[in-house]
Amino acid sequence: MAVREILLYPDPLLKTVCEPLETMDERTDALVQDLIDTMVAAGHSVGVAAPQIGVTGRAVVVDVSKSKLGRENNHGLLVMINPEILQSEGRETMREGCMSVPDYTGNVERAEKIVVQFTDRAGKEQVISASGFEAVAIQHELDHLDGLLFLDRVSNLKTDVFRRKSR
Amino acid sequence: MSHFALTIIGRDRPGIVSQVTEILFRQGFNIADSSCSILGGQFAMILIIAHPEHSAKEAFIEAFAPLEQSGLSVFVRTLKPGGETRPHLEGEICMISVYGSDKPGIVYRVARELGSLNVNITDLNTKLVGSEKRPVYVMMLEAVLPGGVSSEQLAEVMRRLKDELQVDISVRNITPVEL
Repeated sequence: MAVREILLYPDPLLKTVCEPLETMDERTDALVQDLIDTMVAAGHSVGVAAPQIGVTGRAVVVDVSKSKLGRENNHGLLVMINPEILQSEGRETMREGCMSVPDYTGNVERAEKIVVQFTDRAGKEQVISASGFEAVAIQHELDHLDGLLFLDRVSNLKTDVFRRKSR
Repeated sequence: MSHFALTIIGRDRPGIVSQVTEILFRQGFNIADSSCSILGGQFAMILIIAHPEHSAKEAFIEAFAPLEQSGLSVFVRTLKPGGETRPHLEGEICMISVYGSDKPGIVYRVARELGSLNVNITDLNTKLVGSEKRPVYVMMLEAVLPGGVSSEQLAEVMRRLKDELQVDISVRNITPVEL
């Protein structure tokens, strides 16, 4: 359909808690296609959330299958409408960046394994278990739906290191 | 816009940042980049500051006199145009953690290996932790690998160094993921 422009912080839409999408109708399907087109056009991107293209509805797309980190362990292209994390376990830290916050990266601690419930593009209810990089990517995109950027979750390099030390 | 490097250090106490930044604010400076931390009980501030009018430090250096009077050391250097920008660093980024019982030469030996591989150190922190009787030296280092050097290769070099220095060294790739 269309490659949309990625909004950059401080656009207020990026700090908005998004509304659930009521039904899988034409409009939602068009939004999903725009998300996919925008993610593919960005080349290196492994996910885009609706607010990043200016829509405050709860939809994200994630695809880590083409990235070095996610190649071995993924569900292919995931379209998630009204996604919710049901369960999470383990912690892992990864250096994250975001298309909406260029030129800045930070260490973010996230769950290593998650169980997510969502409606897929065909309108079917799905529950999947994701781990590793795919789990990190999903958590990053889902945060966008609650107006959270990775900057809201950055943990300090030094305190992180020394907290681990004292355990 | 002229840029200056400002370095301030002095015994740590509450209020240093406020004291310094009030002067910068009143003089019309922008803080372009900064890193501040407590090092061995001293509060150290390194700032890159910019001013739309001043091109020589002589024009404002007097304004820092109160800092010197309150026990802080102030050093200002004028940056050459172009020297103030953030360099664009390409390549894999690695985090190297080194820790073990304290002995002279840990930083030098690790840095020497990195230098000879043309690896660029972009961030370096060291700390003495553990008890007074049995101090443990911890070094956390972030480095950008040049093309042709992989993190596995670097890990191999560090493994050898680990045996030589009798410390623990780990190398992990932390190249940022853009999501």
